[in-house]
Amino acid sequence: METHNTRRQFLAQIGAAAAGAALSGTHRLHAAVGEPPAASARVIIARDEALAHGSVDEHRDLLRRLLDASMQKLTGAADAAGAWRRYFKPSDRIGIKVNTLGLSTQPAVVDAIAAGLMQAGVPAENIIIWDRLDVELEQAGFKLNRSAQGVKCYGTDSETIGSGYQPQVETNGRIGSCFSRIVAEQVDVLISVPVLKDHNLAGVSLGMKGFYGAIHNPNKYHDHNCDPYVVDVVSHRFIAPRWRLTVCDATRAQCHGGPPKSPGYAWPFGGLVVGTDFVAVDAVAADLLETERKARGLKSLAEEKRSPIHIATAGARGLGVADLAGIERVAV
Amino acid sequence: MDNLENLFERPTRRDVLQWTIACGAAGALCPILADGAFAQDVAGPGALPGPKLKGLARHDAMFWEALEGNRVKCVLCPRECEVADVERGYCGVRENRGGKYQTLVYGALCSANIDPIEKKPLFHYLPGTSAFSIATAGCNIECKFCQNWQISQFRPEQVESVLMEPERLITFCQARHAPTIAYTYSEPVISYEYVHDTAALARQQGIGSVMISNGYIQEKPLRELCRRLTAVKVDLKAFTEKFYEETCAGKLKPVLATLETLKDVGIWFELVILLIPTLNDSPDEIKQMSDWVVQHLGPDVPMHFTRFHPTYRINNLPSTPVSTLEHARQIALDAGVHYVYAGNVPMHPGENTYCHNCKKELIRRTGFRVEQNRIREGKCPDCAAAIPGVWSAEQSLAFKPREMSATELPHDPSR
Repeated sequence: METHNTRRQFLAQIGAAAAGAALSGTHRLHAAVGEPPAASARVIIARDEALAHGSVDEHRDLLRRLLDASMQKLTGAADAAGAWRRYFKPSDRIGIKVNTLGLSTQPAVVDAIAAGLMQAGVPAENIIIWDRLDVELEQAGFKLNRSAQGVKCYGTDSETIGSGYQPQVETNGRIGSCFSRIVAEQVDVLISVPVLKDHNLAGVSLGMKGFYGAIHNPNKYHDHNCDPYVVDVVSHRFIAPRWRLTVCDATRAQCHGGPPKSPGYAWPFGGLVVGTDFVAVDAVAADLLETERKARGLKSLAEEKRSPIHIATAGARGLGVADLAGIERVAV
Repeated sequence: MDNLENLFERPTRRDVLQWTIACGAAGALCPILADGAFAQDVAGPGALPGPKLKGLARHDAMFWEALEGNRVKCVLCPRECEVADVERGYCGVRENRGGKYQTLVYGALCSANIDPIEKKPLFHYLPGTSAFSIATAGCNIECKFCQNWQISQFRPEQVESVLMEPERLITFCQARHAPTIAYTYSEPVISYEYVHDTAALARQQGIGSVMISNGYIQEKPLRELCRRLTAVKVDLKAFTEKFYEETCAGKLKPVLATLETLKDVGIWFELVILLIPTLNDSPDEIKQMSDWVVQHLGPDVPMHFTRFHPTYRINNLPSTPVSTLEHARQIALDAGVHYVYAGNVPMHPGENTYCHNCKKELIRRTGFRVEQNRIREGKCPDCAAAIPGVWSAEQSLAFKPREMSATELPHDPSR
């Protein structure tokens, strides 16, 4: 698929990229890793009909193959290991942020990511699967592991009450929050694994909104469709510069009634949405939700006065590409 | 049986050090450290000994409406949060579980101390007595200058708490001969159900209840609560919507409505205004506020202008000059407010109470300590003028709010 930019769009993107680099250092970080992403606004939509049937857990091998293929498409690498190495190196300490509220990230999807990271030589011990609470991780099917061996898995609130957050308040834009020690101190690379789902206030609960799980006071930032608060959270130095990959779990999706589970609005999309431009991934995923809403005869998010305006705000701040016209969608 | 037995130990070395530093910053010697001379509420989540509450203290919430799709609308405070299933309101302590709204802090005490009532500050309410002071986590606004943000701006599962049901709290309070329970430090409005139940029980047992609040509450729950309380202190953060919006994530208008309701109910209440350099300390604003108080609440509602020290998200401004407090006090006195105080400045003459009629000193204070109280049966001993306030436990417990007629009752969206 080819995209043609006007001169104005081109200049706007340059300006946005410069602003984004100044804000978050994202682009500088990619360069520091070794190689820049092949296409920062390329988003992979990987689907397999088989994934839509049975339990997701039955399809672990399929998910690995699908994810590896997505990474190859994303990078243009000849093999899966090479694709993973494009973004990750053995010394990385990687935090995999999952979503365990309501319709949750499938553990099988996270297993596929961990397997990919290990192909790049990242030791299992360098990987932490995390969200806010131990109890929510367990309810979502994750096995807690705080030991020194294997992939770790625990919530911010897993140790002594309250100790999981940094003691000082970090201010960024309109937010003032204490960040999870996991994201602030224990990792230097982030992978987000949101679920393709609706949110009653923000419009969608995808990669960016998911990082409300990294701060101690998300309840303070629900006004105005969570905008610009979501962007203030993810543009913080603990998040954007470290956020290297988004794998949106769309094996099971929900187009309305989120974030709690609403079975009547859930459907087996049977796929993954993958990209390194976290704004672009959210933009494409939000569009998939809107498409499903339309197909079901539901009002658009805009008509419901809960447009995911934080995506556009993130684009305007240069954190990534929010305009669908500027995003290359690649099907796997 | 009690895991709060150790709560009332003498201050630790760290506490003393903190207070000493605070006193130094204030430019004043502080001879009464053990009583805590500053309005610096240092009771933090780590201060509680004994077994900690595991999980959340759930209890059915009051004042909410069911919406479609298992959503609920909270009508306790002016925010009127619409909350989806498994989500919480802005306060972080009220949660929708399957279409039913719950409080998560029913009896979950994250701070507890026996304080002088002057620390609240309530200067016209049983002066010289103590108040068993408790808090639960959370707040329904976010003041960037909050001195207790480690409990007010956290969710209940993020702070250490002990469970204390109303009955146990009353027993505990009786054993320590505290005539008053103060719901304070964080925001009692959002632990409404616990305050509601405990205050009712306390009153039956001869113990008063005072609420130290931001006043961010709707009229109906406020009137209901006033049937159980014996006094209220409201922080009037400023007199502009701009300040409330930008510095507190709230609105001024509902707070003014609360003050008018308190006046109508007839309960004793006092106002505290923390003056922050450049943000809310302009003479014009203080004049407008004072005029409004006199016009809408009357001259007998005490105003406490207190001193700000940098904290939480406002660390780039200096402490309030004492001269600013003195100027504000004079503006309010000139506007006709009878009782105006300067707070957080120990041993300042503005801490004392003077008869509004003859101007003689009635109560002399040093910090939170009452050195002398000359008021007799609610009157000035020199000119016999009645001094507004609550001067005896009997008077406190005899309070009955003015009830509204059916036509006066506020709209109740839950019915």
